[in-house]
Amino acid sequence: MKRDLLARIRRDVAEKQPVVLATTLSSGESRLVYPFAEEAGADPALRAAAREAALQDQSRVVEIPGGEVFLRVFNPPVRVIIVGAVHVAQALSQMVRQAGYDVLVVDPRRSFATGERFPGIPLSGEWPDEAMARLGLDRRTAVVTMTHDTKIDDPALAAALRSDSFYVGALGSRKTQAARRERLRAMGFGDRDLARIHGPVGLAIGAVSPGEIAVSILAELVDRLRRPGGTEARAGA
Amino acid sequence: MTAEGLYHDALVRMARAATGAGRLEDPQGSATLDNPLCGDRVTIQVRLSQGRIAALAHQVRGCLLCEAAASLLGRAAVGATPAEVAAARAGAAAMLAAGAPLPQEPWAELELFRPVHEVKSRHRCVLLPFDALGEALARARV
Repeated sequence: MKRDLLARIRRDVAEKQPVVLATTLSSGESRLVYPFAEEAGADPALRAAAREAALQDQSRVVEIPGGEVFLRVFNPPVRVIIVGAVHVAQALSQMVRQAGYDVLVVDPRRSFATGERFPGIPLSGEWPDEAMARLGLDRRTAVVTMTHDTKIDDPALAAALRSDSFYVGALGSRKTQAARRERLRAMGFGDRDLARIHGPVGLAIGAVSPGEIAVSILAELVDRLRRPGGTEARAGA
Repeated sequence: MTAEGLYHDALVRMARAATGAGRLEDPQGSATLDNPLCGDRVTIQVRLSQGRIAALAHQVRGCLLCEAAASLLGRAAVGATPAEVAAARAGAAAMLAAGAPLPQEPWAELELFRPVHEVKSRHRCVLLPFDALGEALARARV
C-alpha cells in the first residue's frame, strides 16, 4: 500500500471517518472510498459495495464492472452513550460491552453514576451535551436517554439530533414522548428530526424488567446499525 | 406541591431573565458547586471593590429554581458585602426550613421561593447558588 494512502487512513480513523480501501485485484491498484460522503465522480457501483461492506463491518471481495475489487473496511468503533445512570442503564451498559461496542454512561447526578453500580463501565459526571461536544458524535455513535429528567434528557437529545448519530432512543411512555416532542419542536426541531427518536424505546417484545428492557433497546440499536434502511419491527419496549 | 405551584409565573420570569448570566474576564474569586443528587451545577465568579461585590457572573446547569436563585443573586448581590450575602443566605435557609420571614430589600424577591418551603428535597436547588457565591467570595479574599 502506498504511504500516502496509509497516512490518509490513519487520519480518517483518528477523525472517526469510515473509509474503505479498494484494491483492484487484476492491477493491484488501490484507492480510498468514503462510503457515506457525497463524492462527485466516484464509481456508483463501487460506492454502493463499499457502503454495504462498511455497514456490515466486513471486508470482502466484490465483483463490479471493471473487475474484482478487494474492499477493506476501516470503521470507527461503535459507541453507545447512555444518558442516565438508572437501573436499565446498569443492564444495558454491560450488554453493550458484550456486544463488542464502546460504552459511556453519563449522568451529572454523580450519586447515581458510581463505580459500585457500574463496575468496569466508563462513567462521566458531565452534563450529557457537554460530554457529547467533547467526544464528537459520528455516524457510529448511538445515544439513549433514560434519566426521566427533562433538564438532562432534552439537551442530550438535541445534541444527538444535531449529529449523524445512527440511533437515538428515549426511555419514557407515549405520553412522555408527546410532551418531549413539543419541547423539542419549541427548540426548533422539525418532523424529520423528531422521527429519528425511537420512543417508546426498544423493540416491542413485551419487556418488563430492567434487563429485558435493555435487551429490547440493544436489539433495536443493532437493527438500526446493520439495517439502517429497514423499517420492520419498531416501537414499544 | 405540584411543579406548577413551585414554578409560578414570577419565578419563571426571574429564571428566564438570567440576570448576571455569563463570565467575567478577570474574576478575583470563582467557585463551582454541584448537587450530586439532581445534577444541578453552578459556577459563580466575582470581583470586589472596597469590600463590596463590584461584579458577579454565573453559569447554571440546573433546574428552574436554581436558575432563578442565581438570577436573583445577579441583581441583589451586586453592591453587597460578603457579610450581607451570608445573612441573606441564612435568611433564605430559615424561610425554606421553617417558613421564617425574609430579609428586606434587596433580598425581598426571595419571597418567590416561599412555595419551596413545603418541598424539602428542593431546598438545595435554591441554596446552591448562594453557597457557590459564598465559596467564590471566600476565595476572593485570600
